[in-house]
Amino acid sequence: MMAQDIENEPERIPPDNVPSTELEMATFVGIDNELAETGMGPPVGSAPMAAKTEFRIVAKRFFRHKAARAGLIVLALIILLAFSSIGFGPIPGWWKYDYTEFEPTLTDGGAPTLSIFPPAWGDHPFGQSNEGRDYFALTMRGLQQSLIIAFIVGIVSTIVGTVIGAVSGYFRGRIESVLMRFTDVMITIPLLAIAAVIAGQIGGSGIVGLGVLLGLVTWTSLARIVRGEFLSLREKEFVDAARSVGASSRRIIFRHILPNTVGVITVSATLAISGAILLETALSFLNFGVKSPDISLGLLLQQYRQAMDVRPYLFWWPGVFIVLISLSVNFIGDGLRDAFDPRQTRAKA
Amino acid sequence: MTVGNVFDPVFETVRSGEPILKVRGLGVDFSVDGSWVMASEDVEFDINPGEVLAVVGESGSGKSVSAMSILGLLPQNARVSGSATLLGRELIGVREPMLRAVRGKEIGLIFQEPMTALNPVLTVGFQINEMLLSHFDMTPDESRRRVIELMKLVDLPDPEKRFDLYPHQLSGGQRQRVMIAMALACDPVLLIADEPTTALDVTVQAEILDLLRDLHHRLDSAILLITHDMGVVADLADRVVVMQNGHIVETGPAQELFTYPQNAYTQDLLAAVPHLGSEIADAATPDGRDDRPTDWALEVVDLVLEYPGRGRVPPFRAVDGVSFKVPQGEILGLVGESGSGKSTIGRAVASLLPITAGSIKIAGRDIKGLSQRDLMPMRRKVAIVFQDPASSLNPRMTIGESIGEPLFLHEKLRKGALAGRVEKLLDSVRLRRDYRYRYPHELSGGQRQRVGIARALSLGPDLLVADEPTSALDVSVQAHVLELFKDLQEQYGFACLFISHDLAVVEILAKQIAVLHRGQLAEIGSRERILRDPQDPYTRRLLAAAPVPDPAEQAIRREGRRALLAAGADPDDDVATA
Amino acid sequence: MLVFVTRRLVVSFFILLASTALTFFLVAYSGNPLQDLLELRGPQRDAKVAARTQSLHLDQPVWIRYLLWLQDVGRCLSPFGGPCTLGSDRNGGAVLPQLQTAIGSTLRLVVVATILALILGVVTGIVTALRQYSTFDYGVTFVAFLCFSLPVFWISTLLKQYVAIDLNTWLNNPTMTTAGLVILGVVVGALWALVIGGDRRRVLIVFATAALATISVMYVLLVTDFFREPYFGILGIAVFGVAAAVGWSALFAGLHRRGRSVLISAVTTAVAGAVIALLLRTVIAEGDWLVILLVTLGLIAVGLLAGYLLGRPTQRLAMRVSALTGVTVALLVVVDQLLRAYPALFQATGGRPIKTTGSATPNLEVDFWATQLDSLMYLILPTLALMLASFALYTRYTRASMLDVMGQDYVRTARAKGLNNRTVVVRHAFRNALIPLATLMAFDFAAIFSGAIVTETVFGWSGMGKLFTTSLSNIDPNPVRAFFLVSATAIVLFNMLADIAYAYLDPRIRLA
Repeated sequence: MMAQDIENEPERIPPDNVPSTELEMATFVGIDNELAETGMGPPVGSAPMAAKTEFRIVAKRFFRHKAARAGLIVLALIILLAFSSIGFGPIPGWWKYDYTEFEPTLTDGGAPTLSIFPPAWGDHPFGQSNEGRDYFALTMRGLQQSLIIAFIVGIVSTIVGTVIGAVSGYFRGRIESVLMRFTDVMITIPLLAIAAVIAGQIGGSGIVGLGVLLGLVTWTSLARIVRGEFLSLREKEFVDAARSVGASSRRIIFRHILPNTVGVITVSATLAISGAILLETALSFLNFGVKSPDISLGLLLQQYRQAMDVRPYLFWWPGVFIVLISLSVNFIGDGLRDAFDPRQTRAKA
Repeated sequence: MTVGNVFDPVFETVRSGEPILKVRGLGVDFSVDGSWVMASEDVEFDINPGEVLAVVGESGSGKSVSAMSILGLLPQNARVSGSATLLGRELIGVREPMLRAVRGKEIGLIFQEPMTALNPVLTVGFQINEMLLSHFDMTPDESRRRVIELMKLVDLPDPEKRFDLYPHQLSGGQRQRVMIAMALACDPVLLIADEPTTALDVTVQAEILDLLRDLHHRLDSAILLITHDMGVVADLADRVVVMQNGHIVETGPAQELFTYPQNAYTQDLLAAVPHLGSEIADAATPDGRDDRPTDWALEVVDLVLEYPGRGRVPPFRAVDGVSFKVPQGEILGLVGESGSGKSTIGRAVASLLPITAGSIKIAGRDIKGLSQRDLMPMRRKVAIVFQDPASSLNPRMTIGESIGEPLFLHEKLRKGALAGRVEKLLDSVRLRRDYRYRYPHELSGGQRQRVGIARALSLGPDLLVADEPTSALDVSVQAHVLELFKDLQEQYGFACLFISHDLAVVEILAKQIAVLHRGQLAEIGSRERILRDPQDPYTRRLLAAAPVPDPAEQAIRREGRRALLAAGADPDDDVATA
Repeated sequence: MLVFVTRRLVVSFFILLASTALTFFLVAYSGNPLQDLLELRGPQRDAKVAARTQSLHLDQPVWIRYLLWLQDVGRCLSPFGGPCTLGSDRNGGAVLPQLQTAIGSTLRLVVVATILALILGVVTGIVTALRQYSTFDYGVTFVAFLCFSLPVFWISTLLKQYVAIDLNTWLNNPTMTTAGLVILGVVVGALWALVIGGDRRRVLIVFATAALATISVMYVLLVTDFFREPYFGILGIAVFGVAAAVGWSALFAGLHRRGRSVLISAVTTAVAGAVIALLLRTVIAEGDWLVILLVTLGLIAVGLLAGYLLGRPTQRLAMRVSALTGVTVALLVVVDQLLRAYPALFQATGGRPIKTTGSATPNLEVDFWATQLDSLMYLILPTLALMLASFALYTRYTRASMLDVMGQDYVRTARAKGLNNRTVVVRHAFRNALIPLATLMAFDFAAIFSGAIVTETVFGWSGMGKLFTTSLSNIDPNPVRAFFLVSATAIVLFNMLADIAYAYLDPRIRLA
């Protein structure tokens, strides 16, 4: 967007002489060390100590965030459940059924045997599919596939987006114009539609391929964000200091700027993962993503949509898991954002 | 015009000689991460009718916070205690409607940064107008007329036209005038000015101070002036309150305080402020220019620097044909206001900007058009120290890594050898050796600047470019850093291009001074000659505008400046961009 | 400003061109359109293959196919173009006619969802920003996160299954037990209490008032059989109109002495509007789009006039607020007419008013209003499903933007001038908070199109989404490209509107 570009363009103008007012400093809510910014002398109460690394500070802030903690726990549990219950690859699971086994006649019409009072798992806690497969196993399998794809998409789009965003933000010039025009074009194409077009062809060749392909379609917003960070960071004086000493562009990008963008990239990557889950399940729902005989949560939902009237539980379970994963990842992302950017932290009155 | 308003508090007349504002035991605390932090405590002062009271302090002194607390303008996490009475009415702890009646109407407020203090989507005329309409019962015509009157009062040219302009279309000085007009709109008894000129250039600052003094006399409102600049205090204040770390340390009439400060902190503070003309007081004026054909550390010939245009924005010529020379081991002060091009020159000398035309020779070798590889050996000879301690160090690298980076890149030092050199450098800038394990956010501003200096000195450069190295520091810290700088220069013998907007600071260090104005060299000469006998009209104006921390002397200088301006030199253009 | 718009137009044109080129190529490589034919046996096979190759230009290189297609699009757009088809589908039929029927329903869905999400999202965002860290804020934040995480297809199906069926059943026999009434009152009261917030006394008062008000209103509605024969008539229009007038005045001008003239002119507009509605009621009852348009414009004119005549000394503000009231009254008139059409529709559609499949009832023999109500009924559920994620996005974004603005210096200056809270928020903060939203709208609109594909599948609409999915499954390239063309054009137009709004809001862009 041209209008937005004008807004984002920092100019190289000699800086005005402006010390920050103490009012700003007094309202800066953050870690205690920052109060030492009085400019008068060594920080209060300083003994020779090893510097607290940024990572520990961020981690401490992250775990203070209740929702993020909860999200992390839930996500971990789900991943553990999905991969350990029915096993993955050569490693066997602890659940008695596999997602490929059939029972020719449905027990009790395929209803779930999970009950609250008295608490019991039963034989088929999630019920059975129309062909008599254990629904819990099916759901777990679908979870595995969706999780794997989501993480692959997250990783691919983060890498591609970071590289392109970094290059265009740092070097500017033609590369940047090309990226900006390209992003403008990408905005006009609905993501689901283009993903369907690209992915529809390779549904059979495995979920890794699907993941990579989806990653190659979803990097544009991350690239924009990374570009923005690079644009603002490269104007900082420490970058100039490195340049004046003769540091190569490569060193500046990797050693100076990139470490300062870790926060933004991590948050964006996390949100990319949650977006990926929703994208993949939607694609599979429309039959353009993971295709039979393979399983995905979206595919399950599509297959059992019509059964809502008679056997609604077939529709509930996969959906609930999608929501849980997406929600957890979103909360984690929010927690990370708060952890990396202390200005957002709440001031307790 | 002043029609009564239902919310008008009844107040006694001003003439009785009672203080307008009585502050007793005022204290402000902030809640940070769950605990209370004291920002100011036990603040006590009076403001009498028609007087200017200056509250002075460095950062962390609590001066701004105390003033804002009077009007209840602090953020949510603040807690205010004590009392502040305006003509008998208590202001601390009262409910919002009472405060709203006072804000703007009885007490006007001027903020530091006019660009962010004015709403960017509303016209300036509207913003002044709104002040009138919300406190008085006026028809739109009446209020518009009053706004034009106000704009004329603050010397805004072409008020009818300016009424419909937006803040971004005005210059910094004009925006500040708009703020002053806004603050005065309702004829308040007290004006609180929070660092009103800190964000302005020196010449513009002098005009605004003139304006404030003028209005103060004419309108008889008292002024509470908050600032860290002792020169501004000397120019404007009748009485002074000095604050340190949230407490008042001294109060007194301005001239007394400046001449006989009682408190140790005040004494140190005043000693630390650079006093224009004090360094050269005993020195003789060296005659003529010494064009010895010695080694020049830096030769700049007909330098032209342009920022390339982007899209529809035309290229901007920041520096237009500047020439000067710096001998080995000497300091040249490069002085100018914003937009003069001084920082641009500094960056170009440090090879951070491409040279459009002309040449820059460092130790005899022209750096124009050199490839990156050829430039590498040159980079050892030039180092640069930056202005902003907050952004000149990589927050993710330890101090040791930052200082050691040049050594790492050029001399390929590692581990033990590197650590040794880094420690020696820390010694030379008087910082503890174990600081090399720390991160920038654990250091104060002054300490970070010293780290920046250590980094610059690591390769033993022939020429150091110092780009406003102390402008962002408190006065007392600045004094220490400047002293350190002076010592280091004597010790290591490097030449220096010292860039600053502050003539008094430059006077302390430099042997020669070059004055830049709008990308061109206005004047260049020895320090003594420039400061005693400037020839160029701009230099004269610049010199006349710089305030000194002595009220009596400043009064004399003011007269001198008035005479200079009356003698026909145009006041420095404050034209709008529209 | 004109320069700005022209420049945007030119840039948008090229972006559109690039977008269509990209999608064209991607679709071309997404599969072999001859695939199903190649599997046939028999004498017809070669002929069929040849025919399709011919009509889809499969013998030409891809870029030539693009140029041919582009030429066809040009013919469609220019008035002198001659017959245009937008390419042919795999069976040789023209794409354009299929598109024409599909566009209407999809655009309706997308536009309504966007507008609703935008308005509701911005309002909620602002309120949560003003009530930061309150229970309401946390609640809305959680709901927003939930909405982000809901798969559209899942929520659509759930809505279809539970809301539609249960609501339909209830509407057939609208009753409520006393217990139900009380619970409803308590819930609504609690919600209002959370939103308004404040100290204990205020919370309790708000809760009690809201609960009692809800219970009594609900009771009256049930007793008067509102849910079978809904309407509110001229009296209702007048009452609600005046309430709206008071509301808008309170928001933009304040109710104290200064704002009185604005209040008077707004209320006058409302009353005048009701009178006009009364006088023209037969014309309105017959109704069509032209009548609605004229009535709306007329009421706006009445508002402007009232503001001009009665709005001294704040004429311009009075005119704007009264015009807004005029629009509100027009809206009330429309809603009233739609409600009146309900019984007829109810009968004609067999007693299941809320629809879950399709986008319009076929063979409906009813008047204009009933037909519109019918479309509306079909629109409810899909729009709801579609707008949830966008609503969440706008809420969070507006909240963040508003918080940022409230911390700015100029808001502090506004406070220092002694302005009351309402003025500070509405006049100073609000406009600045909206500025960053314009860029968000651009991204979000495309996402709504993606969601529309799914929603149409779930609710069985024969719109662009269905066209897209069917054609893509059949490896039929041209309808797919037509989908991309339409969506890209809509998005580009929408972005231009957003940019223009951005320039309007921010004088720094307008008058750089």
